[in-house]
Amino acid sequence: MTDQGATHDRSARRMTDQEILARWNEEPGPLLPVLHAFHARDGYLSEDAIRAVSQGLRIPLADLYGTITFYHHFARVPGGLDCPRVCTGPVCVQEGALGLLRELAPEGATGMPCSGRCDDPVPVLRGHLTLAGRSAAELVARPAPLPPPALDGAAECVFRTIREPGHATLPGYRRDGGYEGLACAVREMTPTQVIEAIDRSGLAGRGGAGFPTGRKWRAVAEADGTPKSIVCNADEGEPGCFKDRALMDYDPHAVIEGMIASGYATGAHRGFIYLRYEYPETEDILAEAIREAEDAGILGPSVMGSGFAFDLHIRRGAGAYICGEETSLLNSMEGKHPFPRNRPPFPVTHGFEDLPTVVNNVETLASVPHILALGAEWYAGLGMNGHAGTKVISLSGDILRPGNYEVPMGFPLERLLYDWAGGPSEGRTIQAVTMAGLSGGFLAGDDLFVTLDEPAIRARKSFLGAGGIMVFDDSRDMVEVAHAAMEFFAHESCGKCFPCRIGTQRLTERLAGEAGPDAVVAWVDEVADIGYTMKETSACGLGTAAPLITESLMRYFPEAVSRHVTARGALPMAGRGSGGPHGTEP
Amino acid sequence: MSTNGTGPTIVLDGEKVAFTPGETVYEAATRHGKDIPTLCYDPRLEPFGGCRLCVVEVEGARAPVASCTARCQAGMEVRTRSARVEVHRRTLMEMLASENREVDVDELTSLASQEMTELVDRYEARTGRFQGRKSGASRPDDPNPFIMRDYDNCISCYRCVRVCAEQEGDYAISVKGRGFDTQITVEFDGHLKESACTFCGQCVHTCPTGALGDLKALAHREVPGDTKKTRTVCPYCGVGCSVDLLTRGNQLIGVHPAMDGPANLGALCVKGQFAFDFVQHPDRLAHPLVRGEDGELHEAGWDEALDRAAEGFLRVRERYGRHAVYGVASGRAPHEAAYTMQKFIRGGFGTNHIDNCSRA
Repeated sequence: MTDQGATHDRSARRMTDQEILARWNEEPGPLLPVLHAFHARDGYLSEDAIRAVSQGLRIPLADLYGTITFYHHFARVPGGLDCPRVCTGPVCVQEGALGLLRELAPEGATGMPCSGRCDDPVPVLRGHLTLAGRSAAELVARPAPLPPPALDGAAECVFRTIREPGHATLPGYRRDGGYEGLACAVREMTPTQVIEAIDRSGLAGRGGAGFPTGRKWRAVAEADGTPKSIVCNADEGEPGCFKDRALMDYDPHAVIEGMIASGYATGAHRGFIYLRYEYPETEDILAEAIREAEDAGILGPSVMGSGFAFDLHIRRGAGAYICGEETSLLNSMEGKHPFPRNRPPFPVTHGFEDLPTVVNNVETLASVPHILALGAEWYAGLGMNGHAGTKVISLSGDILRPGNYEVPMGFPLERLLYDWAGGPSEGRTIQAVTMAGLSGGFLAGDDLFVTLDEPAIRARKSFLGAGGIMVFDDSRDMVEVAHAAMEFFAHESCGKCFPCRIGTQRLTERLAGEAGPDAVVAWVDEVADIGYTMKETSACGLGTAAPLITESLMRYFPEAVSRHVTARGALPMAGRGSGGPHGTEP
Repeated sequence: MSTNGTGPTIVLDGEKVAFTPGETVYEAATRHGKDIPTLCYDPRLEPFGGCRLCVVEVEGARAPVASCTARCQAGMEVRTRSARVEVHRRTLMEMLASENREVDVDELTSLASQEMTELVDRYEARTGRFQGRKSGASRPDDPNPFIMRDYDNCISCYRCVRVCAEQEGDYAISVKGRGFDTQITVEFDGHLKESACTFCGQCVHTCPTGALGDLKALAHREVPGDTKKTRTVCPYCGVGCSVDLLTRGNQLIGVHPAMDGPANLGALCVKGQFAFDFVQHPDRLAHPLVRGEDGELHEAGWDEALDRAAEGFLRVRERYGRHAVYGVASGRAPHEAAYTMQKFIRGGFGTNHIDNCSRA
């Protein structure tokens, strides 16, 4: 059974409460699609709608109400959905987002955290339409950018064929060799052989954790319990990351092919793409690709005539960074409050509906068809200095040619910044870059001469993660950049564990100059102590990563920190309120 | 510490101890006399892993692990009080102290209300570090007479939310928003009376900070004297919930659920928890009353009243037989009175027509 059709499908506007509920009630993970259907139909989530959903899906009313308030994008006042939401991510703020927010204030505009278009700022969501531009007059709906051409004839994996015209359609994808790897897998290989091929390729999670993909698949293949699931983590919420958007927009069938292969390898017959809210056009593209694949017999009861059945569903998030954490994502899909789960048990045995589940990032899954088609050894050989494969880097900020670049693992950062992306603008120098979006904190000084692979970056107390790199030139106030970063983490902290809930808030206040000691030594002491406890005791990656911001700020920019602390009290920090530009209430 | 020789063991602070498969590190450690601090733990609830105060060092692990959610594994080496985890616990307590309006809470607030204060003292966390915005917004507008909702003192441990769902099955309380702006709430931010709340008081008595309070008990905070606890069984129905009656001098000032009550494990209902006003109510009869020739009730002595009652009972029995009498004991009477009543009807009249209004 198919449930495609974007959740903002306008036909939902004509549906009654009961029709919406009946439409989704028998589907796995019905809560998010039901809420989106009501949201789209009414333009907000009314009290009556919430009561109807509570009754229809048998979710306690208080629980449902609380869960809805967790998400940034569910409007609770009439007309809320149509109010513009302006990206106030780190790059967009430098590209005029706050001015745009003021311009659109009469229309009820609010801010939203980085919405993954740092290569084409500033995105504004209006209803289910993404506009982009640096001022209200410039705002226009246009496709998000394709990855820039590869330089130096560098060998690519996931971007190998992505720039071919019409590649996002099934005929275009097949023309470029798509689904050949899957055909070979389901017809000529056993599931074990598929897993062995992925093992040999050295493919590891490209969402940030870097867990070996073959090992994950084997764990699910060997786990008891059915039905098993393949979940594509497309909740690309990390600021400065927009690679998954490009992959899904321009190569949706690669993601689908990778998911089917993963299903075949592990014995899973259902797949879910958990897509972040801020990519409405991507949802349409994915839904269309799924329809094409179903019509062509690639998805459905017998994948390419093999007898292996696989169905694919899209589940759209509603605005919560933490849902990119795989166990929060699973809770969100199940309709629960999206707190991260305690681990163990891990999703490979207790995932969606407590059953064995593969959770893989978009880029990881999109690599699989290429590995199946060209061979594990080919993929493994793409990296440099003994590292396997490639990594897509989302590069943005103060750089001449921002965009998604697929680099060999182990590629020198310096070459990416200067040779490929053109360096900073004339007369400027690069002061610092972020790693892993914001989660890896800053690299600066000599550490900019690092190679792009986990061991090298971890040796510099950071990590590559999902591969977002934001560039800040020497005109930027790094304390202010750090403040905006920490404000993001505070805004997105789920509130489950104490060190992250309180720590992100206290660090934000200190970086804003709103609270904390006036003496530098005491200030540094407090910030370091909070960071140490967050890193060592937080329950998930958000809380353990956030203090890398303050840690690296104090390491690379001690003078800026001293100036900031001593200036406190002397200068009111106008506009640095910790309420911030992400105000939730419309 | 003894081990049974065959079962799996862990090394706890250098000592080999046995554990039951499935047991968490926190449970095993507590069973072996370790005092690991925690604020989000309630033994009746699923492990949550929120407060992180119970972190312990496990040999081979990169970072400390939350002992409440980590299961024992054979051979595990655990340090429950290393300098490293004690540093984190102190920092966490300082952070908690910084988000709340106050940390000294009246003991009448609830059963668990001193947990936070005790840990603030234990870790000398009243240092004034980490100052900043306070969390939580209290609901003094909620007009209910039972539960104080003073969320200024909330630390977002979600014990109230979880006890309401997991123990009581009411799902009346939930978490609104996220991060530092997290707020304990009910549907549509309303008052408890319009919500699914049944006023069982479970949330109050698991709250470790006094954010939720027993308004009935707090109304007696000016009553002089030391608080005495007396264990008894709630008379309101046949379940047999254990309760501790709180008294000062001769005055009943509150009821605490007994966490070790075999029938209730700390659970109570609104009546057992809050409906004790009648005991000292001014309208309560303080003397026997006998109806006079004028048809009105008049104060009388015990002898006169009992003679009059006996006379009536005897008359009925003579005229209609022993089964014409039916005794109903009151749920508001003590158990001893109910027992005596039963004796009186069975032994005195020779009939089994005896019941209790609590026979739900």
